[in-house]
Amino acid sequence: MSAARPTLQVTKLAKWFGSVVALSDVSFDVGPGVTALLGPNGAGKSTLFRILCGLANPSQGTVRIFGEDPRANPAIARRIGIAPQQERLFERQTIVEFVTLAAILHRLPDPAAAAARAIETVEMDPADKRPLSAYSKGMRQRVKLAQALVHDPELLVLDEPLEGLDPRQRLRAIELFGRLGQEGRTVVVSSHVLDEVERFGSRILVIAQGRLVAEGPFSAIRDLMDDRPRHLRVGTDRPPALAAGLLSSEVANGAHVKDGWIEVETSDAPAFRRRVAGVARDCDARLLEVIALDEDLESVFAYLVGGR
Amino acid sequence: MSTALAANPGLRLWSVLTSSIATRARLLALGALGLGAVLLGVGVRVANPTDRAQAAWSVVNGYGLSLLVPVVALVFASASLGDPSEDGTLVYLWLRPVPRWQLALSAFAASVTVVAPIAVAPLVVGAAVTGTGWRLVASSAAGGMLATVAYSAVFCGLGLRVRRALAWGLAYLLIWEEAVARISHGAARVSLFVSTRSLAASIARHTPPPRNSVSAVTGLVFPLVVTVVALAVTARSLDRGEVT
Repeated sequence: MSAARPTLQVTKLAKWFGSVVALSDVSFDVGPGVTALLGPNGAGKSTLFRILCGLANPSQGTVRIFGEDPRANPAIARRIGIAPQQERLFERQTIVEFVTLAAILHRLPDPAAAAARAIETVEMDPADKRPLSAYSKGMRQRVKLAQALVHDPELLVLDEPLEGLDPRQRLRAIELFGRLGQEGRTVVVSSHVLDEVERFGSRILVIAQGRLVAEGPFSAIRDLMDDRPRHLRVGTDRPPALAAGLLSSEVANGAHVKDGWIEVETSDAPAFRRRVAGVARDCDARLLEVIALDEDLESVFAYLVGGR
Repeated sequence: MSTALAANPGLRLWSVLTSSIATRARLLALGALGLGAVLLGVGVRVANPTDRAQAAWSVVNGYGLSLLVPVVALVFASASLGDPSEDGTLVYLWLRPVPRWQLALSAFAASVTVVAPIAVAPLVVGAAVTGTGWRLVASSAAGGMLATVAYSAVFCGLGLRVRRALAWGLAYLLIWEEAVARISHGAARVSLFVSTRSLAASIARHTPPPRNSVSAVTGLVFPLVVTVVALAVTARSLDRGEVT
C-alpha cells in the first residue's frame, strides 16, 4: 500500500434494490499493486464494481477514485480501465475495430498504434479479421482486457477476468496483472475462485452477502479459513467403533453415525487426516474413505460471515 | 472516411450506433413498410380516382406521417441506446471520457440516418409517383423529415429509460397521437403527428385543412422544441441514471 492518498477509497458503501440489500457498510482503501476481491457468486462483487466505475449510484456512502467522485466527473475515465463481467461486445466488429474504438473515444493521439500495442499485450492477433461474434469466451476475455489497457490507465478494474481462460492463458494473465501492479498501477481483480486468488499473491478483500468480511494478505485470510471447524465424512466397515475411537482419542470434537457413515467435526483437519488411519487400526476398523464436506468456497464464506 | 474523420469520437459513436441498429431483420421488415408508401402512390396513379389530390394526400398523411415514419422511428431510435443498454455494451461507450450529450446526439443522429432512407425516401417517392405535383412531394419531404427528427429524439430517450420501449412507444402512438390528439383540440397542440401533418398540409396547400390543425409555424417549432428537450433529457439520463 502506498503512503500517498489511496487510488480508491470506499466509505460506508451500501446499495439496495427495493428490499434486497446488495451491499452493506463496505469500507476499504486500495493503493497501487494487485488487490483481489474474492467472493462467491451473488456476493455483491459486480454491484461493487459497477459503483466503483460510476455505472451505478450508491444508496449510501461514498466512492472516491483519485480523490474524485467517478459519477460526477466523467473525465476520470481517462485514468481508469475497466473490463466488465458481461460477455457481449460489439459483435460485428473485429478486435482491431473494437479496441481502436476505445482508443478513439479516449482521444489518444495515435489510436491505431495504441490498439495494436494493447492487442499484442493480451497475446491476440491484430490481423484477425473475424467478427467478435466468432470468438470464444476466453478470447472475449482478452479482448475486454485489451480495451481496458489501451489508454494505459493508472487504475484497472477487472471483473472476473480469468473466467473462460485456459490454464496457460490464466497463468499469463496473472503474470500480466502482477507486472502491471509492479509498474505502480492499481489493479483490482474480482474472482470467486480461492485458488485463483492465491496465485495473485496479493492483498485480498473478501466479500460475502454484501459485506466485507475479511481483508489482508492472502496468507492471513487462508489462516483464518483454516482455523474454522471442518466437517468430514468417514467411510468404514465398523462405524460405531471408529466413531467412539475418534472421540476418545480427541482427534474429533464430535462424531455421529448416519446411514453407515461417520460424520465428524474437527477443529484441526490436517491433524485429523494424519491420525485417523492410526485410530482406525487401533479400533480394528477398515478405513474406506475420508471426504471433506465443507471445502467449497461458499462454506468458507459462510464461516467468515458467521464469525463476525 | 478520411483518417481525421475516422478518429473523431462523435463520428465513431455515430458509426457504431448506426451499424448496431441497422440489423438485416429490421431493414427488411421496415423496408417493406416503406415500400408500401411507393405501392400506394403507384396505386393512386394507376387507379386515377376522381379526387386524386385527396387520395394522394391520404398516402402522405394517412400512411406516411401517421404510421410509416413514427413506427420506423420508434423501432430504430428506441434501439439506438436501448439495445446497448439491454445487452450491456453501453458500458463500452459510457465508460469513456465522452460528454453525455455527445453520446445522446450520436444515438439520435444514428436513428435519423437510418429512418430517413427507410421511411422518408419511399414516402417522397410515393408522393411523387401519384403525379399530383411538386407541392405534395415537398410536403412529404418536410413533414417526413420533421417527424423523423422529433420522433427519433423522443424514442432515443424512451429506449434508454424503459424496458419494452417498443410496447410503450406503440401505446403512445396509438393512444395519444392517433386517438386523443385527433379528437381533442387542446391535445392536438402538443401532438407531434398533428404538428407535422399541419406543416405538410400547409406546404401542400391541402384544403380543407386537416381537423385540429395548428399553424405552420407551430407545426415547425413545436417538434423542434420537443427534439431539443428530448435530447437534453436523454443526456441527463445518461449522466444521472444507472448504466446496465
